Amino acid sequence: MTNASVHGLLPQRGERVLVAMSGGVDSSVAAAVLVEAGCDVVGVTMKLHEDGKDIPDRPCCSLDSTSDARRVCDKLGIPHYVTNLVDRFGHDVLDDFVQEYARGRTPIPCVRCNTFTKFRDLLHKADDIDAPWLATGHYARMGTLPDGGNTRVMLRGLDPAKDQSYFLWGIERSVLSRLVLPVGDQTKAETREIARRFGLRTAEKPESQDICFVPDGNHVRVLEEHLGADAPALSVGPLRLVSGEVIGEHQGFARYTIGQRKGLPGGFAEPMFVVEIVASERAVVIGPREALLGRGLEARELNWLVEPPVLGAQVKVQVRNRASAVAATIVRMSGNAIELALDEPVHAISPGQSLVIYDGDIVLGGGVIERGMRTAPSRRLPILAA
Amino acid sequence: MTQFVYLDHAATTPVRDEVMAAMAPYFGARFGNPSSMHRWGREARVALDEARERLAACLGAQADEVCFTSGGTEGDNFAILGVFRTLRAQGRDAAITTPIEHKAVLAAVHQVAHEGGEERLVRVTRDGLVDRVHFADLLDERVAVASVMWVNNEVGVVQDVPALAAQAKAAGAVFHTDAVQAFGKLSINAKQTPFDLLTISGHKIGAPKGIGALFIRRDTPLEPMFHGGSQNRGRRPGTENVAFAVGLATAAELLLAEHEAEHARLSTMRSVLEQGLRDRIPDVIIHGDGAPRAPHITNVSIPGTSSESMLMALDLRGIACSAGSACQSGSVSASHVLNAMGVAPDIANAALRLSLGCLSTDADMQRTLDVLTALAEKARVGKAASAACAFESIEF
Repeated sequence: MTNASVHGLLPQRGERVLVAMSGGVDSSVAAAVLVEAGCDVVGVTMKLHEDGKDIPDRPCCSLDSTSDARRVCDKLGIPHYVTNLVDRFGHDVLDDFVQEYARGRTPIPCVRCNTFTKFRDLLHKADDIDAPWLATGHYARMGTLPDGGNTRVMLRGLDPAKDQSYFLWGIERSVLSRLVLPVGDQTKAETREIARRFGLRTAEKPESQDICFVPDGNHVRVLEEHLGADAPALSVGPLRLVSGEVIGEHQGFARYTIGQRKGLPGGFAEPMFVVEIVASERAVVIGPREALLGRGLEARELNWLVEPPVLGAQVKVQVRNRASAVAATIVRMSGNAIELALDEPVHAISPGQSLVIYDGDIVLGGGVIERGMRTAPSRRLPILAA
Repeated sequence: MTQFVYLDHAATTPVRDEVMAAMAPYFGARFGNPSSMHRWGREARVALDEARERLAACLGAQADEVCFTSGGTEGDNFAILGVFRTLRAQGRDAAITTPIEHKAVLAAVHQVAHEGGEERLVRVTRDGLVDRVHFADLLDERVAVASVMWVNNEVGVVQDVPALAAQAKAAGAVFHTDAVQAFGKLSINAKQTPFDLLTISGHKIGAPKGIGALFIRRDTPLEPMFHGGSQNRGRRPGTENVAFAVGLATAAELLLAEHEAEHARLSTMRSVLEQGLRDRIPDVIIHGDGAPRAPHITNVSIPGTSSESMLMALDLRGIACSAGSACQSGSVSASHVLNAMGVAPDIANAALRLSLGCLSTDADMQRTLDVLTALAEKARVGKAASAACAFESIEF
């Protein structure tokens, strides 16, 4: 395991930092501690949805949240701006979210929002206002490798209950040298305590859990809006057993996620789960817990936050937020695709979710899961060009 | 120390000292309700009537033609919906306006359609002037009200209101003009120009936010928006805001007295600013510069920049201006005005509205020129070498 020292480089007094402010307690505290450290802090809230679609009582992205961010900045004596990223977010995040579900996959829009919206588009805003640094309220840490070259790396948040590094694997590697994550070495309780010390109105604000553009957690409504209620993904299809036997029908495969148990017919000897979604046949395949186990996986859209490891490297991987990391071996890498053999079987490897690769606490990189494999793939030589 | 420059007078202006002084007694000793019969009431009533007369005089109107409102938005809604709701019974159920109006007018005309009437938009030229031939085409016997703003709030373009009003009246329609940006910048006289309804707002001219007035020519058919007591001749019930009415009248009088000198002062400063921009940034686009413009507004696009980033960067250097129409969240979206004038989206997305006024000085123009030039250069160099991130900060 590689050791990295946490917080190698930090913004100096007087340096400008753009803080992405959602109006929540984490980003409020991120701004507060940077102000206290003497940085020239500018708060920016991203507007990601159209006005009419703003949902007033949601914890993030709404008018109320923007107002909270503005009020916090006022309290801290720093400027606050709103940047309109509606079009870009719609293109990079929302459209992809809808298309992934239409393909029978389970996307994580927050990953793409981090990759394309926060740490690319918003970083351009930082350039525009001469801010060398971009800070957010994510629970992850920045550190430096002991390689003498001050190589910046990202580490898991110190509080395992809050660690958000799973959502950050996709950002461009060069961004690391400009990133500041002030709350990543705190627990949520400590963050709230700091917010109280600064007298910030967001100190007791409830946690945001859902996806910001999915009201009440009902993603189907968003899909209906974009795909139409009669889209294949939302229409009747066969419910099958792993054996291929059709045992009934479902009301649209986009309503299901691998590993889901809720909403499936009963009457089986053991609990049944969704184990596969076959979009081309509109089929939802169910099976017992055993059928959910995967011993290998393929991921695409591979992105490295460090020098890429070599074929055969032993790493730790995580295939879901909050799942524990398991040991794995890289058995194939080509272009932006990777294949790994897992040392122990993992439940519910879902296409569309993220594969995140770690070395201890260090985030090495990640990708989007293409498929899980029931049996572990063996190490193969890279295909040589003919 | 940062030199602060306020170039957003079209958004709002500070309340003038003279206005504050004139209003002060009505928050204190003369606090009465103008509808009361006792001495406190009388005192307030006299002040209110006097304010109405003074404002009327500034507009070339009779006192009974002035109705105090809460501001521009109320005036515009009252005018358009008030006429429509009265005349629809007579078969006049259409409202005409331009696509470059303030949202208050556009939304009110939209409400006309929502209530079963018809919404008609007249075309504007690339310079933002109403297409008179199209206007004539739209003016049929179904039109209840035509509303054309006198001075556009984003680009400053001045419409030929005397001619448009005459055209509308000849077709039997009621003519309204939103004069929020025109008042104090152009000479407005109800005796000379045949508009029926005219909206003004206090906070654009050194009076407080929350006061405005609607000029209502005698015999104009106008249903009230609110229902209640007999205040404002029953057209706008509710206890009058005496202090603010006095403030509005005072600001209007000051404005008129200073009109010529201020017009010249603002025109000169704006010329310096625009000429300076043309000299330093040859490809700068000044919107509406082919049309007559009020002296206090210039709307410029520097190709290759973005309004939003420029506004942030300017604000961080102490310079306040605006772009497009601000939405409630405070973010910037592309201007419907520039869009209607046929401006390409990337140019519209680079637009900055700089509006001069009482706070503006020659030094402000120089400082703005310097900062704008430097920011434009940086943004455009940055774009050319998009891969590289340079952080050499620009010091002034």
